[in-house]
Amino acid sequence: MADIPASRFRIPPQEMERIVALLGRVPNITEEAVFSALWSEHCSYKSSRIHLRNFSSKGPRVLMGPGENAGVVRVTSRLGIAFKMESHNHPSYIEPFQGAATGVGGILRDIFAMGARPVALANSLVMGYLRQPRQMTLFRNVVAGIGAYGNAIGVPTVGGEIWFDERYAKNILVNAFAVGVVPDDAIMSAIPPDKPLLAVYLGNKTGRDGVSGAAMASRSFSGEESDLRPQVQVADPFVGKKVMEATLSIIRRGLAGAIQDMGAAGLTSSSVEMADKAGKGIEIDVLTVPLRDSTMEPWEILLSESQERMLLLVEEKNVAAILDLAHESQVAAAVIGRIIPEPVFRVKKGEALYGEVPVACLTRDAPLYDRPRKARTSGSSAPGHPHPSSSGSHSIADLFLRILEHPNGGSADWIYRQFDHEVGTRTILGPGHDVAIVDLREEDRAIAIALAGFSHPVSRDPERGGALLVAKTVTDLAAVGAWPVGLTDCLNFGNPERPETMNDFVMAVAGVAGAARRLDIPVVSGNVSFYNETDGVSIPPTPILATCGVLASPRTAPPGSVGEEGLHLALAGAVSDLSLGGSMLDWLLPELEAEPVPVIDWETLSRLQPFLSALVSSRRLRGSRAVGRGGLLRTLLSLVAPHRDMGVHLRLPALDNPLGTFFSEAPGRIVLAYRPEEETAVRETASEFGIPVLFLGQTALHRFFLHYRDREKKDKEIRLPLSAIAKKYLTALTGQMETLP
Amino acid sequence: MPDSFHVGIIRFPGTNCDLDTWEALSLVPGLLPRWVGHRERSLEGLDAIILPGGFSYGDYLRTGIIAARSPVMEAVGTFAEKGLPVLGICNGFQILAEAGLLPGTLLQNSGRTFLCRDEGLSVEQTRTPFTLFFSPGARIRLPIAHQEGRFYADGDLLLELETKGQILCRYQDNPNGSLRDIAGITNAQGNVAGLMPHPERRMVGEGAAAHGRLFFQSLAAWLAGEREASPLTFSSSILDRS
Repeated sequence: MADIPASRFRIPPQEMERIVALLGRVPNITEEAVFSALWSEHCSYKSSRIHLRNFSSKGPRVLMGPGENAGVVRVTSRLGIAFKMESHNHPSYIEPFQGAATGVGGILRDIFAMGARPVALANSLVMGYLRQPRQMTLFRNVVAGIGAYGNAIGVPTVGGEIWFDERYAKNILVNAFAVGVVPDDAIMSAIPPDKPLLAVYLGNKTGRDGVSGAAMASRSFSGEESDLRPQVQVADPFVGKKVMEATLSIIRRGLAGAIQDMGAAGLTSSSVEMADKAGKGIEIDVLTVPLRDSTMEPWEILLSESQERMLLLVEEKNVAAILDLAHESQVAAAVIGRIIPEPVFRVKKGEALYGEVPVACLTRDAPLYDRPRKARTSGSSAPGHPHPSSSGSHSIADLFLRILEHPNGGSADWIYRQFDHEVGTRTILGPGHDVAIVDLREEDRAIAIALAGFSHPVSRDPERGGALLVAKTVTDLAAVGAWPVGLTDCLNFGNPERPETMNDFVMAVAGVAGAARRLDIPVVSGNVSFYNETDGVSIPPTPILATCGVLASPRTAPPGSVGEEGLHLALAGAVSDLSLGGSMLDWLLPELEAEPVPVIDWETLSRLQPFLSALVSSRRLRGSRAVGRGGLLRTLLSLVAPHRDMGVHLRLPALDNPLGTFFSEAPGRIVLAYRPEEETAVRETASEFGIPVLFLGQTALHRFFLHYRDREKKDKEIRLPLSAIAKKYLTALTGQMETLP
Repeated sequence: MPDSFHVGIIRFPGTNCDLDTWEALSLVPGLLPRWVGHRERSLEGLDAIILPGGFSYGDYLRTGIIAARSPVMEAVGTFAEKGLPVLGICNGFQILAEAGLLPGTLLQNSGRTFLCRDEGLSVEQTRTPFTLFFSPGARIRLPIAHQEGRFYADGDLLLELETKGQILCRYQDNPNGSLRDIAGITNAQGNVAGLMPHPERRMVGEGAAAHGRLFFQSLAAWLAGEREASPLTFSSSILDRS
C-alpha cells in the first residue's frame, strides 16, 4: 500500500492510517475534510463516549433522549419541554462577541429543530481576573454577544452564573442553555422516516466563516490563536429569527420528515448523521448549496459553519410548499441532495464526483478511545488567585467581608441587566436568583431552571463534587417548590490525553450520573468540551449542569428576596455534614486546613421538595432561597440586599461548628422567610415531612446582626454596617466594571 | 358607538414584542388586537395602531431606519394625520422618531450597553389617549429593555416639548442619559406617543405588576369617547401605596 500522507486537516497519523485501511485507499481532499470533521473529538465524542454510557436517559417523562438535537421531557399531559446546554469556549476566546452570540444561536437552533418554541435562555460563564485588560475585553464582549443574540431574537435570558478564576484566563468557558415548549404531538426528530426524501437547505447562505470550527474546538491552544479567527462563525440574529419562524411553521404544517441544525461541521455532520440514523446514504450536490462566495471549494462548503442554517429531509410533494414559505420569509432555501439507498456519503459538484465514503466509516467506525487514567496525587491544583496577606485566625466578620468584596461573591447585576429577561412576558422569577421560573401559560404550570457550574468541589473531589452539583440544582429547584424532571450537562475539561484529566472526567461523570440516577432525574442531553488547555496547562475539571423542574402553582412561587420587616427567618434542611470542602471560602483561603467535600444527605434532600411545595401552595412563604455560593450569611444578605435598608437580626443557638454553619455550601439547605403568624404552620409542616428546621431570627431594618454561642458556650455577637455590606455586595462586580478601563 | 375597538399591531421582520402586545391588548375589555404586516398599505377599519418593540430588520444600521421607510409607515403617517392614536413602544418609539412622526431622536445609552431593568417613572402629560387614567405626576414602575434609548433633541426643541406639554413621562433615576430624563413623548397634537419603557410587560397582578395596564385601559376609554380624566383616575398616592 502507498505511503500514508500527512493530513492537511491535522488528523493524527494513526487515525490517517485507520482511514486508509477502512477505505482501502488514500482519501482525496474532500473526503479527508469530511473525516477531519466527523472524527474530531467535538463531533465523535471519541474520548468520552464510552464513559457517557454511564448516564441514564430513561424515565417515564422522557419523550426524546440523547441522539436528537435536544432532549424532550413531558411536563403536562400534552406539553413537553426541549432543553440542552452547549459550550462555545474556543470560539469565544478568539472572538468573544461572535463566539458568545453564535453559542446562543446554536443552542436555540437545537431547540426549535425539535419543533419547540424557545421560551428561555441561560448561561454559565467562567473567566480570568478582570485586572488584565484582555480579560476585561473578553468579558465585556462575551456578555454583549450573548445579549445581542438573545435580545434581538426575542428569547429572554432568565438566569446564569459567573465565576472568575485565573486558571481560566486562557481558556474561558461560555456555556449556553436554552429551553423550548412543544406540544407532544408536534415533536420533530432528526431520525428520518423510511421514505424517499430530498435534502432541503434552509437559512443563511454558506460562506467561508467557521470552516473547520469543530476541529479547532478539538485541540489545545498554543499561542497561534490569532490565525484562527476565520474559524469563528458570525451571528445574524435577524436571519436567525426568520429561520426560527420558518422552521416552526414547516414543522407545524407537517412538511418535514426530519430536521437537524447545521452546527459543528455544518452540512457534513447534519447530512451524515441523519443518513446514518435512517440506515441509508445521502448525496449532496455542492453546486446547489446557496453560497455567499461562488469560488468556495467543495470541502470548504462541507466544513463551513456559517450560522442560521437548517437541513431538512423532505418528501418530494412537500418541497414546493417549503420553498414558497422560505421565499415569503425572505430566507434562502434549495434542494441540495437526496437520501439514497446505498449507505454512502456522496459529494458531487454537478455531474462530477468529488468524494464517496461509506457512512459507517464516518460514524460507527470512528475511533473510540478508552484513554489511560491516573488519579491526581495531591488533590487539586492550587486556586489561581493571590493568597491573602494575613493568614491564621480569621473572624467570622472578616471572612464574610472577604467573600463579599470578591467579584465572585457580589451581585451579577452588571451582567444580567444587559440581557432582556422579560421579553415573552413568561418570566416569573428572573436573574439574580439561583433558580429561574418561566410560565408555561398554556397550563397552570411553570418550569424552573437551576444551573450549577462551580468547579471547586469537583477539583477537590471529582466524584463527590459532581454529585454535589446535582444536589445543588435540586435544592435550588426545591426552594421554589419545583420538582426535577430532567438534566442537561456541559462537561468542560482539559486535554483528555492527560491521564489526570481523563480520570477527573470519568470520576465527575460517575458523580453526576450516580446522583442523577439516585434522584431519578434523566440526563436527556449534553455536550463535552475537551482540550480547554493552553500551552500544556488544562483548566480545572468543570462540569456545568442545568436541571429543569416543574412547579404546580406558579402564581404562588415565593420570590428570592424580601423587603418586609419582622419576617421570621429559618433554615430548613440537612445539617449533618457542614464541611467546607469545595466552598467559596475554601477556594478563597487555601491556607485553611483542607476539609472534604460534604457528603449529601439524599434522604432529607428528596423530602425538601414536597415540603417546600406544601408551603408554597398554601402561600405560607414570603421568600425563600437555597443556601448557595458563599454559604448561609451571603445567602441571607442576597435575600434582603435588593431592598434598601433591609437587614437581618439573627439569634442562633450554640454552634459546634460556626465556620461550617456560616460558610459551608453543602446543598440541601433552604432559607425560609415567612410572617410570624405562620410559625406554627411552618413547624407542623416541617415535622410532617421530617425536615429539620432551625430558627434563625428576623428581617430587620438598618442592621445585620447575629448572636450565637460558640463551642465553649461563650456569647458571640457580630454587627456589620448594613448599608456598607449591602453596597459591597451590590457593587463588587458593577464597581469594577465601571472603574477599570 | 361600537363596544370594542380594533387596535393594529404592526409587525416588521425582527419585531419581537408583537405576541406580548397582542396578549396585553387581549386582557383589556374593549380592545381587539389585529395584525398588520410591514407590507400593508391600508389601515382601514383600525381605531388605533401600536408599534411594538424588537429589532426591526435586525437594526444593524441605525435603529428603526429601515422600518421607517417600509410601505406600512406611509399608511401610519396618514393614520396619524387624522388624529387617530398611535403608540410606539421601545423599537416602535425609535421607528416613529426615525419616520419623523415624533420629534427628537434616540441615541445609544450613555453606558453603551443594553439595559434591562425596572425604572421609576412620573407620568406628566395625562391628556393623551394612552395616559387618560393617570393623574399628572403619578409615579409608576415599568421595565426598560433597550440599548438605544437616550432621548436627544436640540435646546429649542426641548424647550418646545416642555412648553407644549409633549413630555409623556420622565425617569426618576435616569438610566441612559436621556435629556431632561425623558422616557416618553408625544407629538404636538398628542395623538402619537412614544414610550421607551414596556407597559405590555406589566399587565397582571397587584400594584406595580399591573402599572402597564393603565396605558391600555386609557386607550380603551379614549376610544369610547372619554376625554377628561375620569373619577377612576389613578393618582400618585394610590400608586405609591403599592
